Amino acid sequence: MSIEIRSVSKLFATFNALIDVSLTVPSGELVALLGPSGSGKTTLLRIIAGLESPDLGSILFNGEEATNRHVRERQVGFVFQHYALFRHMTVFDNVAFGLNVRPRKFRPSKAEIREKVHGLLKLVQLDSLAGRYPAQLSGGQRQRVALARALAVEPQVLLLDEPFGALDAKVRVELRRWLRRLHDEIHVTSVFVTHDQDEALEVADRVVVMNEGRIEQVGTPEEVYDRPANPFVYNFLGNVNLFHGRVDKGEARIGDISINLPEFEETDAGPAVAYVRPYDIEINRLRHSPEEIEAQIRFIQGAGAVARLELERLDTLEMIEAEMTRERYRELGLVEGEKVFLRPRNMRVFLGDYNI
Amino acid sequence: MEIPVELKHHKTISAGHKGLTEPLLVRWLLTGVALIFLSLFLFVPLTALFTQAFEKGAGAYFAAIREPDALSAVRLTLLTAAISVPLNLVFGVAAAWAIAKFQFPGKSLLITLIDLPFSVSPVISGLIYVLLFGLQGWLGPWLDLHDIKIIFAVPGIVLATIFVTFPFIARELIPLMQAQGNDEEEAALVLGAKGLQTFFRVTLPNIKWGLTYGVILCNARAMGEFGAVSVVSGHIRGFTNTIPLHVEILYNEYNYAAAFAVASLLACLALVTLVAKSIVEWKLKVSN
Repeated sequence: MSIEIRSVSKLFATFNALIDVSLTVPSGELVALLGPSGSGKTTLLRIIAGLESPDLGSILFNGEEATNRHVRERQVGFVFQHYALFRHMTVFDNVAFGLNVRPRKFRPSKAEIREKVHGLLKLVQLDSLAGRYPAQLSGGQRQRVALARALAVEPQVLLLDEPFGALDAKVRVELRRWLRRLHDEIHVTSVFVTHDQDEALEVADRVVVMNEGRIEQVGTPEEVYDRPANPFVYNFLGNVNLFHGRVDKGEARIGDISINLPEFEETDAGPAVAYVRPYDIEINRLRHSPEEIEAQIRFIQGAGAVARLELERLDTLEMIEAEMTRERYRELGLVEGEKVFLRPRNMRVFLGDYNI
Repeated sequence: MEIPVELKHHKTISAGHKGLTEPLLVRWLLTGVALIFLSLFLFVPLTALFTQAFEKGAGAYFAAIREPDALSAVRLTLLTAAISVPLNLVFGVAAAWAIAKFQFPGKSLLITLIDLPFSVSPVISGLIYVLLFGLQGWLGPWLDLHDIKIIFAVPGIVLATIFVTFPFIARELIPLMQAQGNDEEEAALVLGAKGLQTFFRVTLPNIKWGLTYGVILCNARAMGEFGAVSVVSGHIRGFTNTIPLHVEILYNEYNYAAAFAVASLLACLALVTLVAKSIVEWKLKVSN
């Protein structure tokens, strides 16, 4: 089932949760709503589910108006951040709940329900725990039960509200990969909310980056990461170094570096900022060109697959973050306090005088 | 290089002393004070009560209880409880549900009103009804016209009891339901459950021990209420006397043995209530 969100706004007295948000989710797609706290992503999810209603705008399922449909008639499955399992029911009864509350006419027989529930529990690899109570399960197990429960009623849309937020790091990574595989098998239109960019980039078909009630960018994980539409997206999806400079008629001057930027041909002279990822900062012991920036290494974190360095520019005293592979780090044999030369590769220039 | 180490001898710490408990003497003192308190206000009066009740022998004890006026007092007490407790149950659950799960204008006013019977003296509670329904009250003439008796009759007693036992169930449930949150109910709705289904399958099982606790307290107060009921009752023997009122009458007639005999019924109720309360408290702790 496809979802269309048309100009939805949710306004409160003191702040605006959503401001004129529009989005289309084609049938079968797995979309991530990514953003910081207060960006409106959970509000949007709950509006799609019918747990909250928009002040303006409409929601359409398969092209049909659904804004005023009651939550139980929307055929959506919802997975809560804190599982919301029925604490006094066994795992089996939790998963069977949606089927048990159906009106007699549409309710499957006891045998059919049992078969379906065990099938789902096998799918989430918890069949042996059918008789346990939620309190006896681990966080990861509870979340899988919650997922099985949501899938039991064969929803057309699956909505997940920070599903792995309450779990620890390893379990989170395992479960999100598992969710991706599940989606590949079942192909249910899914929308999940997260503030973890790694999760969004790894799991989703498309990522919707939100901030302060608005959508900043929609695209595939590659698109939003490699071609961020604006500084917010760039900064949210990874670490960033800022280099201040100016742009004038197609030429950007960032410090001693000159770049030809045809997209700014028409722009009058004004301030600009170049954004550079830490792994795009090249470090050399000897100066190769007049453009390079001299800096002093203040801090090195050499453990792990990637070595992280913090350097202080000698001209502006600004801090620069750099990353390099273990091999390169060993190769260079850098130590704290050393003076080196930096060259930013691959800059992304935005107009204005942004400060993050 | 050798560094000389100086060992300072600290006061030896008595065995069993952990950093967080009070020294033994203080613990004994506090426990002792609590025991003395309990004895003075609980054990001694209870012993005195049962001793006095059986002063004239077991025969007189049972006669006092089987006496027609005493029996009708027992019946009236039971009737009052049988009406007030279920009504307050329904109201308490409804109010707690509304307060815990929804935002609506007047919510804080409702919470204040629920607490009102606790802050008002029971005598005043009874007086309110007299002022409202009594012959000289606001609705008095209208009631008299239609020959409806509220004050100095059973309806008045029931009303007054409902008022004073109002808050027990609601106050027990509100924090419980607030702590449990809305997630489970929302999950049930999304899965297709209707309102009542959600209530009976999800909400009620979660609040059952809190509810039981509230009902036990509500019942104890409903059966034992004196002040408010005394004002509206009229003390008509055999008709508008509850057990507490009957005890008062017997006592005023210097019929101490009978008074204590009937009072022992309430004392037994109190003991049963305490036991039930402890069991439910234990269950509440276990289920959390």
